[in-house]
Amino acid sequence: MSKGKDFAIINPCTLYQPMGAVYALLGVKGAMPIIHGSQGCSTYIRFQLCRHFREPVNIASTSMHESAAIYGGEENLIKALENVISRYNPELIGVTTSCLTETIGDDVNWIVGRFKDAVCNDNDKDNDKDNDNTGTAIIPIKTPSYAGTHLEGYDTTITELIRHLARKSTPVEKLNIIPGILSSADVLEVKRLLCELNCESLMLTDVSESLDSPLTGAISFLPQEGISIAELAESANALGTIALCRHASSGAFFLEEKYGVPAIIGIGPIPIGIQNTDAFLADVNRLTGCEISVSIQKERGRLIDAMMDAQEYNAGRKVAICGDPDMVTGMTRFVCELGMKPAVVCSSAGSGELMDEISITGRTGRDAECSPAVITGRDLDDLHQYIQNKRVDLLIGNSYVERIAKAEGIPLVRVGFPIYDRIGAQRILILGYRGALHLVDVITNTILEYEEGVFE
Amino acid sequence: MPITDAVHLVHGPVGCAAYIWDIRGSRSSKSNLYRTGFSTNLQEREIIFGGEEKLYHVIIELYHLYHPPVIFVYATCVVGLIGDDLAGVCRKAEEATGCKCRVIPVQSEGFRGVKKSPGHKLACDVLLEHLIGTRTGRGETDISTPNSINILGEYNVAGDVWSITPLFEAMGIRVVSVITGDSTVDEIASAHTAALNIVQCQKSIRHLARRMDERYGIPSIDVNFFGITQTAKALTDVAEFFMDKNMQRTVEEMVSLNVRRITPKVEYYKKRLAGKRAAIYVGGSKAWSLIDAFSELGMEVILTGTQNGLPEDYVRIREHVAEGTVIIDDANVRELAELLEEYRPDVLVSGAKEKYLSLKLGIPFCDFNHGRTTPFAGFDGFLNFAREIHGVISSPVWDLIPERRRL
Repeated sequence: MSKGKDFAIINPCTLYQPMGAVYALLGVKGAMPIIHGSQGCSTYIRFQLCRHFREPVNIASTSMHESAAIYGGEENLIKALENVISRYNPELIGVTTSCLTETIGDDVNWIVGRFKDAVCNDNDKDNDKDNDNTGTAIIPIKTPSYAGTHLEGYDTTITELIRHLARKSTPVEKLNIIPGILSSADVLEVKRLLCELNCESLMLTDVSESLDSPLTGAISFLPQEGISIAELAESANALGTIALCRHASSGAFFLEEKYGVPAIIGIGPIPIGIQNTDAFLADVNRLTGCEISVSIQKERGRLIDAMMDAQEYNAGRKVAICGDPDMVTGMTRFVCELGMKPAVVCSSAGSGELMDEISITGRTGRDAECSPAVITGRDLDDLHQYIQNKRVDLLIGNSYVERIAKAEGIPLVRVGFPIYDRIGAQRILILGYRGALHLVDVITNTILEYEEGVFE
Repeated sequence: MPITDAVHLVHGPVGCAAYIWDIRGSRSSKSNLYRTGFSTNLQEREIIFGGEEKLYHVIIELYHLYHPPVIFVYATCVVGLIGDDLAGVCRKAEEATGCKCRVIPVQSEGFRGVKKSPGHKLACDVLLEHLIGTRTGRGETDISTPNSINILGEYNVAGDVWSITPLFEAMGIRVVSVITGDSTVDEIASAHTAALNIVQCQKSIRHLARRMDERYGIPSIDVNFFGITQTAKALTDVAEFFMDKNMQRTVEEMVSLNVRRITPKVEYYKKRLAGKRAAIYVGGSKAWSLIDAFSELGMEVILTGTQNGLPEDYVRIREHVAEGTVIIDDANVRELAELLEEYRPDVLVSGAKEKYLSLKLGIPFCDFNHGRTTPFAGFDGFLNFAREIHGVISSPVWDLIPERRRL
C-alpha cells in the first residue's frame, strides 16, 4: 500500500462480478445475458466488451428505476424475460444480479421459478424445470458487485451453467476445459492443441468464435458459435475436467463431486510458457491417454529455438506484470524461463493466495531465484509508486497500464483486459507453445524497438 | 464530468468506477487529474453497516494526496439504497480540509433514470449550486470583460474546442469557460461573469442556460459548429449579439477566408459523396445538427433519431429533414438493425456500441461520440468529417466481402 493511502482506490485494476458473468455467457451458443439492475450496469459492460473485442455485444437489462428499487424488481425481471424471449428467442438466458438487486433482496431464484411456473401453467406439456415452453433455459446467477471481482462472477456463472444443465448419461470420450477469462485466440489455441492430440473437448464456455466473428454482411443478436446446451449437458459424462485458471475451478469441483468427473485444477497453472504448457499436456495425457503428437513436439522445439535466439536481448531485464492472477502467475514463470527478472507483479487477487502461487512458481527448477515483489491491491497507483522507486525495463499489462508506461518512459507489452488503444485484443495469443512463441517475438522486439542503438 | 483539475470520486463498489474511469473522449490542455479513476471500493461490510466513515477517510486521503480545488463525490445505486448521508459527509470533510477543498455531492444513483437526461439536469444543478459564481477574484467587474462568453454543452471530444476558441479570440471575445470541456474549477467558478452563453449540445445543458439567465441575467443563443454554414452562422450570431461593427466585419472576413480556403477540398469530397445516403443515430442535438452538415456534402439523410432525445429535439429534427426521412426514437438493437437492413444507408453515424453492429451488417460507420479521435467542429473539423465519411464509404475492403456484393 502506497504512502498515505489506506482507503482510496486510485485507478482500479479490477472489474466486478457481472462482467465475468457476461463474458462466460457470451461463450454459450444462443445465450442472452440479462443484468437485473440499473441500466448503467449493462450499458457499461457492453461498452467495455465492444471496445475490447471490437464486436457487437448484446446484453439485456431490467432497467431498475427508483420505484422498482423501493418496491422490488420482480415485475421488471418478469417483463424483461418476456421481452427477451419474444424478441430474441434465445436458447438460454443467464439472469445475473447486481449490487442494487442484491441489496434490496430480490430473490431471483424465486422470481425465475414463478416465471417458469406461469409459463408452464399456460402449457402443461413441458415439465422440464429449466426450460419453459419456448425452450429457453433460464439460469439465475448471483453476482453481487460489492463482493469479489469479475473472476468470481465468471466462476459462479460456469458453475451455475453446469449445475443447471449437466446431465449424467452415457460416458463420452471428451475432455472438459474451463478456460477462464481469455482472448478468443487463446481459447481457439487450446482447442487446436487438443485437436492435434486427437482429443475431443468441451469448452466451458467457448468465446473463440462468438467474440471474433467474420464480417459477412449479416448479423445475429445471439452468439451463433460457442458451447451448446446439449454439449453443456454432456459435461457430466466427460473423461475429466481441466480448469486452466485456479480462480475458475468451482465448476470442475462440482462435476467431480456430483458426477465423479475427475478434476485437475491448475497444476502447473494456466499454460503460459514452456513448463506450464508441458504440465497442461501431461494432464491431458493423464486424463485421456492422448499422446503428444510430433507436430506439437516440433512447436515446442521451435519455441526453444526462438527463446535461445532472443536470450541475449532479454537476459536480466526487469519486468513488471499486471493483470488477472492466473495470467500474472503464468507470465511470471514464463519471463523467468526467458532469463528475465520479474521485479514486481500486481494483481487483484487475495494477497496470500498470489504470494503462494508466485512462490510455487519460484521453487520450480532453475527459476528458483524468481521472487518478485507482490502488490495485491485493487488499483494501479500502488504499482506506479513502486515503479517510480524501483525502475523496470518492461511492463506487461492492459491498456490502463499504458499511463504508467507513458509517465515513466517504459515500454509496454499489452496483454489482458481491457485493451482499447490498439486493435486485435481478441487475437492476442499467449497460451500454449505458439502463444509463448508469439510472446517471445513481441517482448523481444518491444525491447529492441525501445533500446536504440542495439544494432547500430 | 470533464472538469479537468478536480477529483471525481465514485462512492460505491469498485466496479462502478472501474467501468467509467477515463472512457470519455474529452481532451485537456492542462490538468489530467480528471482521467484518474477514484473509488471508495465499498465492500459487503459497508453495504451492511454504511459507507459514510470510509467515504470520509477516502476524501481526506485524496485531499492530502492531490490537493485538488474540488472533490466531486458521485453516489451509485447501492449508496442510495443504504442511505449514506452524502451531503453530510461532504460538508464534514470539507471543513476538515479547512475549506481549502470544496467537496461537492452528486446524487447520481443509477436507478434515478433509465436515460442520461436526469443525470444531465442533475449535473447542471450541481454546477449552479456549488461552483458557478463562487469565484469573484478581485471583484466581479474586474474580471468581467464586455465581450466574453461561456460555451455550454461542448465536451471537447477529440479536441473540438480547440478548433472553436481561436475563432472567438480572433473576434476579440474571451471564452470564460467551456462547460464542460478542457475547463478548470476556477474557470467554471467564474462562468457567471460572462456576457453571453452559447449553447452547443442543447439537450444536455439547456437547463443550465435557462437557470444562468434567471440567476445572473446571462442570455443564451443556440449554436452549432458542425458544418460550414452552421459554423458561419454561429459566429455571425455571436457578433450580432455584441452589436459590434468591427467584430461583425472580422467575422465576415474570417468566414469568407475560411470558406475560400476549404471549398476546393470540400468540393473534392462532395463530388465523390454526392447522392450518398446517411443514417444518424446519436445524442439529441446531433440528430438534427448533422443533417445540414451532410447536405453540404451533397448527401441525403434518410434516417435519423436519438436514443435519449427530448421532444424539443424531435421538433428540431422535423425542421431540418426532408420529407420522407425516417425518424426513430430509442430503438433497441434489433429495431436499429432491421432499419439499417431495410434502408441500407451508405454510412451510419453513431456511437461505440452501434459501431460493430453497423460494420458487421456491411454498413460503413462513423463514430460521432466519445470514441472519435479526430475533431469535427469548425471549418477544419468539417473537412476532417468529410475525409472520414469519404474514407469509410470508399474503403476497398467493402468490395472484398463476397456476401455484400449480392446486397
